Amino acid sequence: MVLYFHNSHTFPHTFETATLAYFNRYPNPYASHVLSIDTIDRHIDAEGRLHQTKLIVKTGRLPKWVKPFLGKTSTSWIIERTVVDPSSQTMQTYTRNLDHTKIIQIQEYNQYTFDRELNQTTNNTTVTFSSGFQGLGIKNRIERWSQSKFDENLKKSRQGLRYVMDSIRDRLHLLQKA
Amino acid sequence: MGNLMSTSFAPECTDLKQKYDACFNYWYTEKFLKGKSVYNECEDLWADYKECIDIHLQKQGIKPMLDEARKEAPFENGGIPVDKSNEK
Repeated sequence: MVLYFHNSHTFPHTFETATLAYFNRYPNPYASHVLSIDTIDRHIDAEGRLHQTKLIVKTGRLPKWVKPFLGKTSTSWIIERTVVDPSSQTMQTYTRNLDHTKIIQIQEYNQYTFDRELNQTTNNTTVTFSSGFQGLGIKNRIERWSQSKFDENLKKSRQGLRYVMDSIRDRLHLLQKA
Repeated sequence: MGNLMSTSFAPECTDLKQKYDACFNYWYTEKFLKGKSVYNECEDLWADYKECIDIHLQKQGIKPMLDEARKEAPFENGGIPVDKSNEK
């Protein structure tokens, strides 16, 4: 069965700062496990929305008991899709791992919406965890482990985002003053 | 966009990537979000960067998995997964 995780968080930042920070969130002090990020596709659709596809490489942080299934591989490739609608000031993102999907497939869906009155950006996250293992024992164990680990990982990635948002906000302020 | 810029999976492309990213960041905030441009103006830098990436992607075992994933439409349901938690 598939496990779910839901979470919501508000950043005291404009849509511009929040989304620019998202695109530039690596490197940051909370993401030392991220090795690289590349844009591999981008286009603007008929409604004026910006679509981007990125490719991220991370070093694996998997428990020891999963290692026998992985062999020597310690890196993981992630695809990230994003759509920015500048008129409604919303962004949707989707990420999932491309390899090791038989062991665990983690799909993360995010919505970023800007509230003009409160001048803040809210991020809603939904994550699904599903292991392709046939043995129910190990399958459930992997899904539960990933889900429990995710809370911790999400905290770190938000700290990273906040760090980048703060530095971008400061930079945008400087630019506007100049 | 801390003080460092991120790198490419292919070290040979990092320089091209960072030039493109810098152009993109400016275009995104100053033009795109402000409704001043519906075209990405970093076309030349993008072409060079993409050429480099495509060459190096060919050598990676991940290519078939990536091509599959690019066909998916994750935003069809409003960008929210269809909840199958009741299914076994």
